[in-house]
Amino acid sequence: MAMIRDRRRHKLVAYSLILPFVAIFSLVFAYPTFEVIRMSFTNAPLIGEGEWVGWANYRELLTDRLFYTSLKNNGYFVLLTVIPTTALALLIATLVNRLSGRMQALALVLFFMPYVLPVSVVTQIWAWMLDFQFGILQPAIAFFTGKPVPVFKNPNWVMPTIAVVTIWWTNGFNVLLFLAGLRNIPSELYEASALDGATKWQQFKRVTWPLLWPVTALVLTLQLILQLKLFDQVYLLSEGGPFNSSYVLLLMVYREAFQLNNGGYASAVALVLFLVIMVVSVLQFQLLRIGGKNK
Amino acid sequence: MKTRHFLAASVAALVAGPAMAQQTVTWWDFLAGGDGVRMKALIEEFNEEHPDIQIEGTTLEWGVPFYTKVRTAAAVGQGPDVMTYHLSRLPLGLEEGVLTPITAEDMEAAGLSEGDFFESSLNAAKGPDGTLYAVPFDIHSIVLYYNKSLLEGTDFLDDNGELTGIESLEDFEAALAAVQENGSSAPVSYATGDDGGVYRVFYTLLQQQGGELISEDGEVLPGDSVEKAETAIATMTKWFEEGWQPEQALYEASVALFTSGKSGFHMNGVWEVPTMIDLAESGELGFEWGAVEVPQLMDEQTTWADSHAFAIPVQGDGEMDAEKREAVMTVIGWMNEHSLDWAGAGHIPAYKPVAESAEFQEMEPNATYSSLADNASYDPRSEIAGVASPAYDAAVNIIAPAIHGYMSPEEAVEQIKGELSRAMN
Repeated sequence: MAMIRDRRRHKLVAYSLILPFVAIFSLVFAYPTFEVIRMSFTNAPLIGEGEWVGWANYRELLTDRLFYTSLKNNGYFVLLTVIPTTALALLIATLVNRLSGRMQALALVLFFMPYVLPVSVVTQIWAWMLDFQFGILQPAIAFFTGKPVPVFKNPNWVMPTIAVVTIWWTNGFNVLLFLAGLRNIPSELYEASALDGATKWQQFKRVTWPLLWPVTALVLTLQLILQLKLFDQVYLLSEGGPFNSSYVLLLMVYREAFQLNNGGYASAVALVLFLVIMVVSVLQFQLLRIGGKNK
Repeated sequence: MKTRHFLAASVAALVAGPAMAQQTVTWWDFLAGGDGVRMKALIEEFNEEHPDIQIEGTTLEWGVPFYTKVRTAAAVGQGPDVMTYHLSRLPLGLEEGVLTPITAEDMEAAGLSEGDFFESSLNAAKGPDGTLYAVPFDIHSIVLYYNKSLLEGTDFLDDNGELTGIESLEDFEAALAAVQENGSSAPVSYATGDDGGVYRVFYTLLQQQGGELISEDGEVLPGDSVEKAETAIATMTKWFEEGWQPEQALYEASVALFTSGKSGFHMNGVWEVPTMIDLAESGELGFEWGAVEVPQLMDEQTTWADSHAFAIPVQGDGEMDAEKREAVMTVIGWMNEHSLDWAGAGHIPAYKPVAESAEFQEMEPNATYSSLADNASYDPRSEIAGVASPAYDAAVNIIAPAIHGYMSPEEAVEQIKGELSRAMN
């Protein structure tokens, strides 16, 4: 009898402990997600109810040229950022790892600092440095190309430049993850391999790389998710232009919802983006895991 | 117990208030520049004159942020009691259901009548059925600023040192070449890399040819407007190719080019007039300047124009009480009667008793270009035109690259047609 009461009380305690989480999760995640799904099947404006239109929004989406342009640009941006930023972070982390004591802390601070800045500050800094008329980086660009380039107004330059800004801004966090990973590798392994006469490169290839793989896979996946959610930098630096060469899906969601008042259609785009991110990132993580096991 | 009594008493005191029921009018505007300073002065003056009505003003970010905030706040009854509104934005405002009609009683409470306003602005303030949804406050447009020093020795200054002899595109381009001779590095500056700057010049050139951006039944660039739009873009492209207009100038840079004496001409809104006046007064400008209505470059004399107006948003599901509404209308009426101060920000008062007053007629340079009020071309009446609209986006996204040679005028027009038609659905 006492045991039953005890178990009941245990359950009560358990429920009361998870209740705050469940309540907040339902309120700010589950309910809005459900609403987005529901809205994507209506012609609702930004605020207020719409009529049920079935798959109409999705059918329209499939014939919308801007949707494909945005999808392509999202893909291009992922190519420009995910692997480069991971490789760069790994390089920086191995270099920083060789430093010791204060120097290491200092180097880490220097690389991590941009990550602390809000996006508006980051874009402001780069917009100034790359300003077509007065930017201090323009002479450097002119040195290579022969003349200054309005980078955010040139269809060939805009995405790569935004990628550079993004990598500069977010790379510090990846360095931190890699550094934590490197510190987890026992130093005995390096000592043993050195005794066996392994070169630095062999050590990296046979010890560091395989043992670091879980972290690398994590960084790649986090980056993929993050870079697919590109919005702020584009909105602040190029507004999707010139002629849509930096238009991305989230910008489309924003414009449809807040400028054109098409809440239903915007929800459909948002949901498609959500699905793309989910499918691609799960797929990638699984592939990377399998790849890791075969090592 | 004691504290509760005290609280109850103070709440009661707050509710009952002073003997005369004081009204607080919540005011939102998007005026952050030189005109914002003048608006704040007007609000202060009003508050001093009216102990029974107090305006509580908040300035928000111009453009999409302002209108989105109005939209969401008004829907739940947390919006302002009165707000500034662009008349070009009215069609979208009506679709969103943000605006309440201004009734005849409202106008009476404000001491205004429809006949007091310029017809173009009044029409832009009405819905398709003729209901008034906003009270116009000003008419603003782009004007042609000019630098007298750079024009010296050319045929384009008369004996009084005023701009003269520009009656066609050829004349204007001859003037551009002439100031270039005189050492101007960017003969005509406007924001060639920004949405507003490009849109306003493009729309002016299109309207001067009698072209239409969006027809009444919602067709983008109907009929021969396609060719007219191509001509407008080709003209702007030529100015770039000849080195007459700056490359990819953002708004601030375009103003700086003129104020630093590098541009002979500057096409920009009347709202920069205070900048020029202030710089000239402090002796920092370094040259004599003037401003005129944008000359007739094509077939007709007209210029892009818009109006700031006052509107009363919906209050969620509730209704504004009659006394508050009267107070709001008092504010709107007073502001229009005092719009001479607002004209100091370069604008032309929409309220004719002020616009036709002797004081305004003497106000320079406003009086020189005030004729544009009669020739104003407002944005097309469409949900996708007006401030911070897809039409503005198309200007920076398509027209701006085109005039810098990234695509031909024909391609650009085709893209504009595609993009705007898409946004229309």
